[in-house]
Amino acid sequence: MKEISRREFLRLMGIGIGAVSAPALLTACQPGRGGSHAQSPVASPTTFQPQATSTGTSASSGYPDLVVAHGEDPEKLVYQSLKAFGGIERFLKPGADVIIKPNISVPYYTYEYGATTNPWVVGALVKLCLENGAKKVRVMDSPYGGTAEDCYISSGIQEQVEANGGVMEVMLPLKYQTYDIPGGKTLKSLIAYPDFFSTDLFINLPIAKQHGLSSLSLGLKNLFGTIQKRERMHAEIQTKLVDLGLLVKPHLTIIDATRTIMVNGPAGGNLDDVKVQNMMIVSTDIIAADSYATKLFRKKPEHLPYLVEAAERGLGRIDYENLNLKEITIDA
Amino acid sequence: MPEFKAIAKRTKKPQNGWIIARKVTQAIAFLVFLVTLFLTRNNSLPYTTLSIPERLSPLTMLASLISSRTFLAGMTLSLVLVVLSLTFGRAWCGWLCPLGTILDVLKFKNRKSVVPEKLRTLKYALLIIILVAAIFSNLTLLFLDPLTIFTRSFTISILPVLDSMITAVERFLVTIAPLRDVVLAFDALIRPAVFPAEPVVFQYSIVFSVFLAGIILLNLVAERFWCRYICPLGGLLGFFSKLALFKRQVKESCVSCALCKTYCPTSTIDPDRGFESDPSECTMCMNCLESCRKDSVTFTPKLSLAKLREYDPNRRSILRSALISITAVALLSVEWIKRIPQNFRLRPPGVDDEDKFTATCIRCGLCMKVCPTHGLQPDMIETGISNVSTPILIPRHGFCQYSCNACGQICPVGAIPALPLEEKKQLPIGKAYIDHNRCIAWSDHRSCIVCEEMCPLPEKAITLEIGEFTSPEGEKFTLQLPVVNRLTCIGCGTCEFKCPVSGDAAIRVYTL
Repeated sequence: MKEISRREFLRLMGIGIGAVSAPALLTACQPGRGGSHAQSPVASPTTFQPQATSTGTSASSGYPDLVVAHGEDPEKLVYQSLKAFGGIERFLKPGADVIIKPNISVPYYTYEYGATTNPWVVGALVKLCLENGAKKVRVMDSPYGGTAEDCYISSGIQEQVEANGGVMEVMLPLKYQTYDIPGGKTLKSLIAYPDFFSTDLFINLPIAKQHGLSSLSLGLKNLFGTIQKRERMHAEIQTKLVDLGLLVKPHLTIIDATRTIMVNGPAGGNLDDVKVQNMMIVSTDIIAADSYATKLFRKKPEHLPYLVEAAERGLGRIDYENLNLKEITIDA
Repeated sequence: MPEFKAIAKRTKKPQNGWIIARKVTQAIAFLVFLVTLFLTRNNSLPYTTLSIPERLSPLTMLASLISSRTFLAGMTLSLVLVVLSLTFGRAWCGWLCPLGTILDVLKFKNRKSVVPEKLRTLKYALLIIILVAAIFSNLTLLFLDPLTIFTRSFTISILPVLDSMITAVERFLVTIAPLRDVVLAFDALIRPAVFPAEPVVFQYSIVFSVFLAGIILLNLVAERFWCRYICPLGGLLGFFSKLALFKRQVKESCVSCALCKTYCPTSTIDPDRGFESDPSECTMCMNCLESCRKDSVTFTPKLSLAKLREYDPNRRSILRSALISITAVALLSVEWIKRIPQNFRLRPPGVDDEDKFTATCIRCGLCMKVCPTHGLQPDMIETGISNVSTPILIPRHGFCQYSCNACGQICPVGAIPALPLEEKKQLPIGKAYIDHNRCIAWSDHRSCIVCEEMCPLPEKAITLEIGEFTSPEGEKFTLQLPVVNRLTCIGCGTCEFKCPVSGDAAIRVYTL
């Protein structure tokens, strides 16, 4: 081996150190990022909300705050309830990118068991968005009971979404970023999927069901699917749910209550535990929608500590009786 | 002599006709094997199709048949290789075997081989040891079958390593802002289509990697060292090849230039025997045919039995191998681990008899490839060294997904029963026990019901009792406490996997 001169040594060292530190330098040059310990950007979800939802009613705008629809046909439920809410056009810019986040938690059972959002409801919503100017509609969730690919298929959602022109996306670990939670009580930051913040329209599409710990799994609980390290959420879940709600803000929450698991949630597996309710709840206020949904389980919002805390911390309203509520019944 | 020199001067590498045909076939076969392995997680092909590569090997099929005394119709597929060998000799080794292709590609410029010819007998010895051990229901050495080596190495070593390398580079590049979108687009392209969304890890991956590396490094000593001296499948096919219809013959026009010998990958062409070769060693690579300047090499069909060589097994060596085999099986059966109760020996769903299972499993690792949670892991010593590379379920690593029966469906020998989903959902793998000293609810009196929540059974096997406690401040409070119903628990391990307690879970699945 030939000997290395001092000059050569220094040159190699320079190149080496340069190569190692180049990425750090590039990262440091990014606005809004720390140099040495690069922090991910603070969450700034596009607050594309047509009206204030957490304070006061929107009676002045003429649109209802909450639409409750009854009907057997999933597609009509979606179309009519959103029509009553003022039309999906309210939320859709032409060429918009839309993300629908259903509940696709487990691959154990088919849709009849009510553990996952009704596939025809998801399909109809995809269709409605595409008919009204959306450029692309993506549907995603991060299941806890198996791989996303398996769950997408077994829930029947993939079939309906693709039949209606939507795209199923597997949420990839590489994409997640850390976000600070302004006003977070127990959680100061969370690792979340950035697309929910950057999309033009984020529709939260949970299925209402019983859940041991938070007692009911509704709109707010459905946001669990947008973050990583969920197992850390379970201690002090009530406060953490509200913290999560402060970070991840869907533009629209549609609660699928066509079939609801009344006991043995959230995975279910017994048809006797499932009640066919044929209902749908639409609101921009996730807490108002959840509060109304408690009624389907013969509960009051006050029974759910996280709803009470959410209202106290200004995330939404639980006094749905005082909101501009529109109830419609769709003939089969 | 002058003619000899003239020919020897034209020693350009043979690279035409047959050679190209062989290399193309090798590449295609390798790709087919590899793609089949990738497709195991794709849901696009039936599992019986995906296990075809494993069922091709007459060695594993015969050994499993002898050992388990169970015949499966799918095993007859291996007769394809027997017929192939009876017709074209060890063409499998030279043209199709994925491990052989790897060894052909990764060859080194080695010195003149100094390996004694006699060593060729090793593969026959191993073959006899495997088959005799099979009579005594031991299949430990099936991890030497080239097809199981291929499947296992790609499942446990090569693909996870490739995945980790790509992930590491991606994680590095994704922090560079201008590259972020490109990297994410690339990631979406390969996941979950080629690699799983989350990188996979396997225990003892390094051991299996070193084993594969060892086989490749033996190429340093001699070209295709593995195929010449060790491969027991090669030994079995070599046995049939003695009868092969198409055998290499040397015509009288041979001028003894020795060019063919130079290019023979198994160096079976013997100048002392008029440049004839042993069909049990010849991989039908056609290098000699293409390198011969006098067209003295032919492969015309001829019914005959090839001459026995000094390294071929004789009565004495067969008896010796059988004795070694019996001693080794006896030695393995006195392993103390077999006699003490096992806490966490969890086999794939549907396996009820441990002895029957280890006497059927061919150690291919397909079940570990297909397991969606990668809870199925290769064993090394937990259940005894004789069970190297058999699957065990490690719930903390990945649970047995309730609505999945893929391992049983893909198992090429039915070691894991191919149960209908409804049946699999009810068969217990083990039973869950809660460690009250570590459980968040039982021990810390803090609310946690994750195990109950995660239990996939329609009638949950974990229920919640209400306990009354008094806080240090003297306040009375109630708390939900998880309790396992041992009658209904199937030991899928979802609770153990999801238990938020760090380290070992506070709820663990124990052997039945």
